[in-house]
Parts: sequence; C-alpha cells; structure tokens
Amino acid sequence: MPREAEPSLSERQFVLQALQENLRLDGRELDQYRPLELSFGDQYGVADVTFGRTRVLAKASAEVTVPYADRPLDGIFNIATELSPMASPAFEVNRPTETEILLSRLLEKTVRRSGALDTESLCLVAGQKCWSVRVDVHVLSHDGNLIDAACLAVVAALRHFRKPDTSIEGGVLTVYTAAEREAVPLSWLHSPFCVTWSFFGDEGETAVLDATRLEEQVRVASCTVSLNKHGEICQIAKLGGVPVDAVALLQCTAVALTKVKEFSELVDKKLAEDVKKRDKGGFMAELSAENER
Amino acid sequence: MPLDTSAYNLALLRVDGRRWNELRRVHAQIRTQAAADGSSYLEMGHTKVMCVVTGPSEPGPRRGGAGAGGGGGSGGKDAEVAVSIVIAGFSSVDRKRHGKGDKRTLELQSTVSNALSASLHTHLFPHSQINISLHVLSQDGSLLAALINAATLACVDAGIPMTDYVAACTAGSTSTYAANDEAADPLLDLNHQEEQELPGLTVATLGNSDRVAVLVCESRVQVGRLEGMLAVGVDGCKQMREILDRVVREKGQRMIQEGTVERGVGLNDMDVD
Repeated sequence: MPREAEPSLSERQFVLQALQENLRLDGRELDQYRPLELSFGDQYGVADVTFGRTRVLAKASAEVTVPYADRPLDGIFNIATELSPMASPAFEVNRPTETEILLSRLLEKTVRRSGALDTESLCLVAGQKCWSVRVDVHVLSHDGNLIDAACLAVVAALRHFRKPDTSIEGGVLTVYTAAEREAVPLSWLHSPFCVTWSFFGDEGETAVLDATRLEEQVRVASCTVSLNKHGEICQIAKLGGVPVDAVALLQCTAVALTKVKEFSELVDKKLAEDVKKRDKGGFMAELSAENER
Repeated sequence: MPLDTSAYNLALLRVDGRRWNELRRVHAQIRTQAAADGSSYLEMGHTKVMCVVTGPSEPGPRRGGAGAGGGGGSGGKDAEVAVSIVIAGFSSVDRKRHGKGDKRTLELQSTVSNALSASLHTHLFPHSQINISLHVLSQDGSLLAALINAATLACVDAGIPMTDYVAACTAGSTSTYAANDEAADPLLDLNHQEEQELPGLTVATLGNSDRVAVLVCESRVQVGRLEGMLAVGVDGCKQMREILDRVVREKGQRMIQEGTVERGVGLNDMDVD
C-alpha cells in the first residue's frame, strides 16, 4: 500500500510557526477561501469546482429502475465517490482509503440524509418503477479541502441536472427525449454546504478554513460543519483529534454559516448565468436556419 | 414509525421516565477478561459494549484496511491505535448483518481511534500497535458514546499512559428541526427511540475540561439549538467522567484489598480500609 509522502520536519515547523503568527504560506487570511470557481458542462448535471489547485468534477445521471422492496414509494439516490491515483499516489483503485470512506459518509449525511433531494418525487409507479439518481464525484486534482469542494460540486450538479420528462397513460410509462419535451429539474428542497475547519497548535487554538494539502497533513484536528442558508445544521463531524474548546467550536459554526450563505449565493448566481446562456430565445430561434456565419 | 415523545410537554418526563438532565443507569466493569492486557464492559441503559485492548505490542501483519490508523501508521514514531468494531447481529431489534466493510462501522472505528490516540501518549511506544476491539452486544442509542467510554476504560485497565479520561455522552433537543418553538428543552443521553425522532449529537470531552474531542451530529437542527445541546452534552460528559473514575478507583481498591497488587507509593492518599 503506497503511503503519502509526509512533509519534512523543517517544512512542518515552518508551516506551524507561520500559523502561530496568523500567517499562511499563500498569504490568505485564516478564514479565507482560495479563489473559488464553479462552471457547468454542456450537458445538464455536470459541475466543475475549483478551489485553488483542488479540482472536483461531479456528474449527475438518472435512469429508470425498480425501487427497493422496503421503500416502494421512494426513488433511489446515490452518491459515488472515487479517489483515483490521479489525485494522489496514496489512493488506489478498488481499495478505499480512510479519506475516501469519510468523504463519502460526509456527503451522504450532508446531502442524502438531510433530505436535500425529495426522493418521493422520483417515484413513477409505486413499487415498480422509479428514477435512480446517481452522482459520481471525481477528484481531478487534490490540494486539500476535498470535502468542501466535493459537496459544492454535488449540490451544484444536482441543481443543474434535468431528468427527462415522463408520462403514464394506462399503465404505460413513456420517457420523452429532450427534443420531444423539455427535461425537468429535480425537486430540490434545500442546499446544504460543508465548511471544514482545521485546527493547529497544542490545544487546537488556531482555526483555519480551506486548508491546503500541506496544512491538512500537519493539522491536529478538523471539524466539518454542514449547513444550509436557512441556518439549519445538517451534520457536524469532528471525528477525534486534539480536543478543541467548546466555545471555539460554536464560533466556528457561526462563521461557517456566513460562508455557507456566500456559497449559496454563488451557486444561485452561476445557475442563473447558465440558464441565460442556454436560453436561445425560444423554439422559433432554435429552428431558424440562420447561423453566425 | 409512529413513536410518541410528544407527551414530554405534559409532565416533563421522557418516554423512559427520566427528566431532561438525567443519564440512564451506567454500569461499568474493568478487567473482565483475565487474559487480556486490558478489558472493560459498559452498559449505558440497554446499550451494552465489551472492549478488549491488546498492546502496546509489535505490529502484526497488516490487515486489509480494517483498523483505521490513528497515529500515523505503525512504522511511524507514534504507536498506531487500531480499532475494530463488531456489531452483533442480535444487538438491535431487527436482526441485521453488518458486513466488515460497512461504511458506518468504518467511520465509528476511525472516530474511536482518532479520539483515543489524541489522549493516549502514543509517542512513548514507537513502532508499535495498540489494538482495541469493541463488541456491541446490545444497542439502544448513544452507541458511539458507549464505544468511546468502554475503550477509555479498557485503555486505563491496560495501563497505557493517557492525559485524561475521554468521556462521551449524547445530547438532544425536544424540538424537531422544522418547529421553531423557543421553549425546546435540551435532553441528555438519548435512547434509541429519542435518537430516531429528535435531533441529537454525540460529544466526547477530555477529562474535566470543556475541550471537545469528538462532536458528531447527524440530524437536521437549527443552529441556535447547538449551544444548548452542546452545553448539556459537555456537562453530561463530566458526569460520565466521574462515573468512569469511580469504577476505576473501586476496582483499584478491591485489588489492593485482595492483595492482587501491592499498595503503591502513590496510593497513600486513597483511603483504603
């Protein structure tokens, strides 16, 4: 099993000492994110998120299948994460590392268990047919803070996604292609986002947002808070590590809420831009033979 | 599931007759397995957990990703804390097979491992491994808290130096996430029924301090509720620490009385009759 190269002693000391003086190697404030970019693909349901040198791509897709026997009225919703050796040599195919398991659990708790997607709306014929929505998360480049980037990508991809329109007449299900009927968006209830704090120092007294990979390797604890813009906590995970003062954790949650509101605004803005770009001026404009040439 | 905790408002009593700030009955024993380096048995209400600690010892051949590494790998300068959790099929009401690769179990393993390796003095045992195996015999809510408490007791029994007890318990709130009622009470130590229905979180603190080692919340809850729940949880952890401490001291006294161990120099301040 290949192991990730650990930072050298002097590198470690340099990062930690700088953080003690409230300085970061890339000149950011402690609670500042790296430049954040979000773009959508040509297809519906593809979102590409970049946090500095971290890049995550999420692709949503849907197909008609048979629902689970114990949940005949619910559709199926899955999030698949795969960390390939492309992101880091420590990741192997078909052998999930701890990072991958924790990432997929966090996404699952944040997006799926908090009920962000209304799975009942995915049901087509009770007990027989339903939509199965699946989001594949691909990490293209890993420079820390995978969780926040992946969560943002998943939420953006699902909100951008359109599933084919369907109708049921006399027990016969028809799935229409995009040319026959406009595809419909998913029934989306709220948008949760993850904010990960990294803690440094003997008692975890320095809290830092959006840690890079190097910072992640030398941190003593981390805490991921998932919230939506309405101020509802969907999930908190501080899974061990050096104990951090309870009051500091409450402050972290409060700051996380402001960050989540920023994320929320960003996704709304980008989705609106995308809609404008795709709107070619109605059906007649699409049919016209004129082109730019 | 039509469970009814809504009767709480009538008499301020919970489904099992507790007040908001009462823990369930905690029964704990240490040194339950004579042959093991350290062992414990812990009951929190109907949640029953057994723990056996082996080590610190030379690391065996690596098992395929089972025990999540806490202390930076067995080859490192710190001891690795490898945790394995077995959830018995008969532990909950509906008999369920929990595979080895169950993500929830793996997450629990990594949480217990990371929580303890921050308190254990792993730097004293380079190139070695501390194996903690936990067996869940019965589940009735607060599983993660029970696992952490049992593992702490077993590590104390194994005589591994540690900063302080890592004591854990759960806290919840009587309101659901949607209801914005201001009168919601925080609750201490949720059982399974309450855990299903109400928002809750698991807290583990280090010793008597307010420092939180583990904080896990898996349900939707208003951000304003967090402070109350966390305060009650931290307070519950302090109560739990007292209980764990009493268990360890009582066992120590009994061992001295029975002559299993000699009365040490540091024990003079303990009143042993």
